[in-house]
Amino acid sequence: MADKLCMVVSEGTFDKAMMPLIMGTTAAAMGTEVHIFYTFFGTKLVTKGAKPKLPGFWRLFTGMFEKRMKAVGIGSHQETMQQARDMGVNFYACSTTMGLMGIKESDLIPGTKVLGAAAFLKLASESQTTLFIG
Amino acid sequence: MEKHATIDAKGLMCPMPIVQLAKKAKEMKSGQILELLADDVGAKEDVPAWCARTGNQLVGTEEDGKTLKFYIKMK
Repeated sequence: MADKLCMVVSEGTFDKAMMPLIMGTTAAAMGTEVHIFYTFFGTKLVTKGAKPKLPGFWRLFTGMFEKRMKAVGIGSHQETMQQARDMGVNFYACSTTMGLMGIKESDLIPGTKVLGAAAFLKLASESQTTLFIG
Repeated sequence: MEKHATIDAKGLMCPMPIVQLAKKAKEMKSGQILELLADDVGAKEDVPAWCARTGNQLVGTEEDGKTLKFYIKMK
C-alpha cells in the first residue's frame, strides 16, 4: 500500500502556496500518495487565476523571488500547481470556507475536489505523515 | 559506467532533479542504468532517499568538480 502524505494549508501567501506544492511534488516523485487540504485563506490558492504574494513587507519582492526560482528550474505558482497535478497530487478545497467566502465550485482549479473536515481527518488518520504548512 | 540514459539536472535546485528523475524512470526498462548529473547540494541526500523509497538501486556515484554523477539501476 502506498505511503500517504497529508498537508493542511490555511494561509494564502506565496511562501505558503509554494511549499506544499514543492514538497507534494517531491513526495509524489517518491511514490507517495499526496493530499493537500486548503482551508481559510489557503482556499484562495486553489481558485483559478490565484496570484499569491509574499507576506507583509516582502510583498514587493515576490517578482524577484519568482525570477530566482525560475532560474533554478522551479516554475511560477500556476506552473508548479500544474506540475503537482500532473504528478498525481490531490487538491481539496474546504467546503465550509467556500461557503463562508462565497467561493463556487466553478471558481476552483479543475481537478480540485471539495472536502469537509471529517473526510479529510479520515485521510489524515490513514497517513504516515500529516503536515500543517500554515 | 555503462548508461542507457542521462539526465542533465545541472543548475536545477531541489526538487527538480528528483522530479526529472522520477519522470525519466517511468520510461526506462528494468535493469537499465540511468545517469543523473546534478550540482544541487541537496541532491547528495535526495537521490539516495529517492532510491530507497522507490526500490531503485544506486549503483555508483562520482564527483566531477562541482558536478555530482549518480548511476541508478532501474528495478
